[in-house]
Amino acid sequence: MKKFRILIKYEWLNFRADRGLLILSLLTLMAGLYGIYYGNTEIVRQRENIADLAQLTEHNIDELKQKYPGEVEAGDIGYYHSTFAVNHPDSWAGLSLGQRDVNPYYIRLRLLNLQSQLYDTENINPLKVLSGNFDLAFVLVYLFPLFIIGLSFNLLSVEKEQGTLPLLLSQPIGLPLIVAAKLVFRIMLVLGLALLLSLIAMLWAGVVPDVRIALWLGVVVLYCLFWFGLAFGVAAMQQNSAFNAVTLLGLWLLLTVVIPALLNVYVAVKQPVPQALALTIEQREEVHAGWDKPKQETMERFYARYPQWRDTTEIEGRFAWRWYYAFHHLGDVAVEDLARQYQGGLLARHELVDRLNVMSVPVNVQGIFNALAGTDLPAHLAFMQSASHYHDSLREFYYPYLFKQVAFTHADYEKEPRHSFSSGPDLDTAFSGIVKVLLSVIFVYVLGVLFLSLKETVVK
Amino acid sequence: MQYILEAKRLCKQYQDKLALKDLNLQIRPGEIFCLLGQNGAGKSTTINLFLGFLKPTSGAAYIKGLEVASNLTKVKEYLAYIPENVMLYPNLTGLENLSLFSSLAGFEYSKDELMRYLLQAGLPAEAASRRVGGYSKGMRQKVGVAIAVAKHAQVLLLDEPTSGLDPKASNEFSELLLGLSASGTAIFMATHDIFRSKEVGTRVGIMREGELVDVLSAAELNANELEKLYLNYMHV
Amino acid sequence: MIRTIAKKEFISTLRDRRFVSLSLIVLLLLLSATIVGLHSYQNLQEEREVAQHTVNEQFANSADRHPHRMAHYGSYAFRPKSSLSFLDFGLDSYTGASVYMEAHRQNSANFSQAQQSTSLIRFGEMTVAFVLQMLLPLLIIFLCFGAFTQEKENGTLKLLLSQGVSLRQLAWAKVSGYSKVVALVVAPALALASLLIFGRGAFALDGDLLLRLLLFILFYGLYFFVFVVLSVVVSALHQRSSTALVSLLGIWILFCILIPKASANLGANLYTTPTRAQLDADVHAEVVKGIDGHNSQDERAEALKQELLKKYGASSLDQLPVNFDGIWMAVGEEQSSKVYQKHFNRLMGIFQKQNRISEWAALLNPYLAVRHLSMGMAGSDFGHYVDFQQKAETYRYHLAQELNHIQATQLRYGDKETRLSSATWGAFEPFEYDTPHASWALANHMISFLGLLLWGIGICIGGMRLIDNTKIV
Repeated sequence: MKKFRILIKYEWLNFRADRGLLILSLLTLMAGLYGIYYGNTEIVRQRENIADLAQLTEHNIDELKQKYPGEVEAGDIGYYHSTFAVNHPDSWAGLSLGQRDVNPYYIRLRLLNLQSQLYDTENINPLKVLSGNFDLAFVLVYLFPLFIIGLSFNLLSVEKEQGTLPLLLSQPIGLPLIVAAKLVFRIMLVLGLALLLSLIAMLWAGVVPDVRIALWLGVVVLYCLFWFGLAFGVAAMQQNSAFNAVTLLGLWLLLTVVIPALLNVYVAVKQPVPQALALTIEQREEVHAGWDKPKQETMERFYARYPQWRDTTEIEGRFAWRWYYAFHHLGDVAVEDLARQYQGGLLARHELVDRLNVMSVPVNVQGIFNALAGTDLPAHLAFMQSASHYHDSLREFYYPYLFKQVAFTHADYEKEPRHSFSSGPDLDTAFSGIVKVLLSVIFVYVLGVLFLSLKETVVK
Repeated sequence: MQYILEAKRLCKQYQDKLALKDLNLQIRPGEIFCLLGQNGAGKSTTINLFLGFLKPTSGAAYIKGLEVASNLTKVKEYLAYIPENVMLYPNLTGLENLSLFSSLAGFEYSKDELMRYLLQAGLPAEAASRRVGGYSKGMRQKVGVAIAVAKHAQVLLLDEPTSGLDPKASNEFSELLLGLSASGTAIFMATHDIFRSKEVGTRVGIMREGELVDVLSAAELNANELEKLYLNYMHV
Repeated sequence: MIRTIAKKEFISTLRDRRFVSLSLIVLLLLLSATIVGLHSYQNLQEEREVAQHTVNEQFANSADRHPHRMAHYGSYAFRPKSSLSFLDFGLDSYTGASVYMEAHRQNSANFSQAQQSTSLIRFGEMTVAFVLQMLLPLLIIFLCFGAFTQEKENGTLKLLLSQGVSLRQLAWAKVSGYSKVVALVVAPALALASLLIFGRGAFALDGDLLLRLLLFILFYGLYFFVFVVLSVVVSALHQRSSTALVSLLGIWILFCILIPKASANLGANLYTTPTRAQLDADVHAEVVKGIDGHNSQDERAEALKQELLKKYGASSLDQLPVNFDGIWMAVGEEQSSKVYQKHFNRLMGIFQKQNRISEWAALLNPYLAVRHLSMGMAGSDFGHYVDFQQKAETYRYHLAQELNHIQATQLRYGDKETRLSSATWGAFEPFEYDTPHASWALANHMISFLGLLLWGIGICIGGMRLIDNTKIV
């Protein structure tokens, strides 16, 4: 144990004296801090934008009050008045932005048919989203493995190449102790940095303290250990530094780039979601056909779903708002199945990826981070669901005015329901993901020990 | 136990080459055994087998009666090693390198003591606290000597330790070996230097193609005779 | 002399089993990326073609309708994949595929691939461009890192120099030898891609496509050349192979991973993108000041009314020889489009400012330069995306205005009942998108083009000067 401490101490002295390694560590630290800053500003900006939406709604109401100083038909309000369904970011979202920059975090809704409004997108710069987010999750998932590789690719080979191994081994210590000391020193350094960055990020974001702190830190530890396991396994093959560097970088490339890209292709083929374009075409056709169908037929179809309004007055004349909104809603009803299939298809994609991510630990870990931060596809689908329900409640709010032909007054604006939804974590995905990471870690270490024991140590 | 260093029918077979054939050898404390032979004769193989860096194909090497292959860590408490070309951690100073290796061997020296070992080995005082990266080969070799001396080992294994040293340093080194030998340290040295072998060695072994072909007592011959004998063996 | 050494490098590389197997892997990835890309391209293209055809048919065969109803019925523009986009998906996966084109309102382009994916897509996509941009430089680094260091370690450098070879000659010999090896790896895949493009008749053989493909190949050739020379120079500056390799891998990580992401993120951080909701509200606010097609109480509508009444000497709108409804909506559409264009251009200006950081970074980073140029040639860059949106908007505007014109000339004022026959809609030209010319695409990327060119020239001049100073002993 004493020798172990001595070895660690000299690892530290060596590290301290190596300018390259110091720069590498400093760069990693700075990248981590920038990642935290970036993720946080992005979420702060989203929060500000969401806060501004309430003002836009207020403006819209003021404008309508001006336009209709007295009582007005609710149908006019439903047509000109827009509110927002909003997806508040979780307090963790800044740590792992996930798909929050690609998917809209609010949906502008009017009383018109839902399906033509649900998929509108936010202004996004495609080049920026293609390049991806430089958040803490990116630093941990992509850059930390590179940091670990940079620290460990010549774990053992450097001793051979600089010729110190014979002298070192002529002392009363074994090779396993030397390798262990080197690994432990590097693990302490990397974990120290990774955990420090995670804690800074949590404090900065002001996360709600719950089980996720333990889960996040646990995943970070396991993920770093996984990469150290790979570095250990490669070191155990006892090749030269150049071979180790190329092999480790190759593994990194395979796990973080090639396998995910191939999985993406596989998922797209295996689980296509072609209904989107059909859905959008179909709902337009349904809604606009509403104008040309006999009104009574439209209303009958509507009453079949909402019998409570059957006894209201019959539609006369060319136009009535309640008829207009009825056929708009029937447009939604007509594509209900397609919409369900579309969202179901997306969810199935997510589940397929969830099953396949055993093939790449980085994909799995990114998935866990996004699940913890509530920023992945399921969180967005939950928001879409919530937005649909909000649209339902809007309709239910307006129907009494429309069908009982009650005039809409200025006081009624306040009674209109407002929407709020916060993305939550998906702890089940996180738990099952962690189990998989743990298994991967055990697997690589067993493999590494196997390599080390099979291969005879060649000192020179 | 009388022999500090012993080899019994020690063999090392590489894939296509028999590097060491049936080596039998006994060395007592205080002896200086010089092993002569051409490049590739099996001198370094012998030393690496005593160090446990190589596993013997058959037979065994013993240090203080302990079989090397099954006591890899234990035997290293008794021996010190100076390679042909001493390589050290380039980013650490000479002092730090010495301190590292000494403490791994179980010796905690004060800075003054460490300094004394370095000076004794002939390293200039100003160099001791510079990084080893800037040392010449001779300076590194001196740190290697200091590491070996500071270990107070009972056996010293040397792999052509004087190659690349200037005559003055080489001479100082010989003095050092004689001093260590006088205090009871056994020294096993692979070398090309016939004259120095004659000068310091108590016994001289001649090795050819993996075989120890002759062992001579240094007292029996003068240097010129030794050279003639050596060349004779080589030309057969 | 140069030729002898180049030949030696070429032959000894081909005899290196490790390198050959790595090259085979890269070649295999390249070939599979070509096939996967083409497959995905054909799927998306077919889906969009079918959708476009469907909506075109629906429009042409619409029931008898009032023209303004038809204006609200509108149409869709589905963005066709550009022919070469199967080599480089570029931004295509992140840009919307369909735009709903209706009267009074400019809609966003919806249903991007990225929105239909899990975060898996953010790890990158397997395309030919990806292999060429990211993996080939790695292969080149692996090929060249020992160019000089190995000669130093073996001591052969001194021998070579003592035979009268200069350092520069040696460097050029190595560059030319390695370039041949790289060409050997890349050429089969590019040949296959070209064959797939032209041979199978998947696309019509036209000059523009050929030019784009040639430029595509040319840019990558230059990119690889830069990496080969860079690797040889770095190798010359090091004493040991392992440190040369580590330096080169560090450069690769910086060029291909860190800078692209950091520059894009920094741009977005520096210039705030207004939200769609804010933009819509701003457009609306500005339009309300003028004429709103549905708001006859507006002052300017009143002014127009008076002007028309005066012009035709009529006392009420019924007596006008033209339909006031149609005219006022046409004027409204004109105004709101103008306002929208202004805001849209401002938004695109912000995006361009954000992207400018990456573009300038291309001067420092050949990876970014080739990435921009590659997307540009493949027709999957920002410029092509904006061009599509603009053309869809133009079509939308003309569609709305033609329908307004029909209303103004064929229907009477206040007539909300008359339905024009289905044949009227059949006369409308459907939306068709043509990819702009290659020179237009290139002009969008002048900075990147300059960057790549400067790298090519700079590395030859500056790099060789550095090689002159390499330590031999």
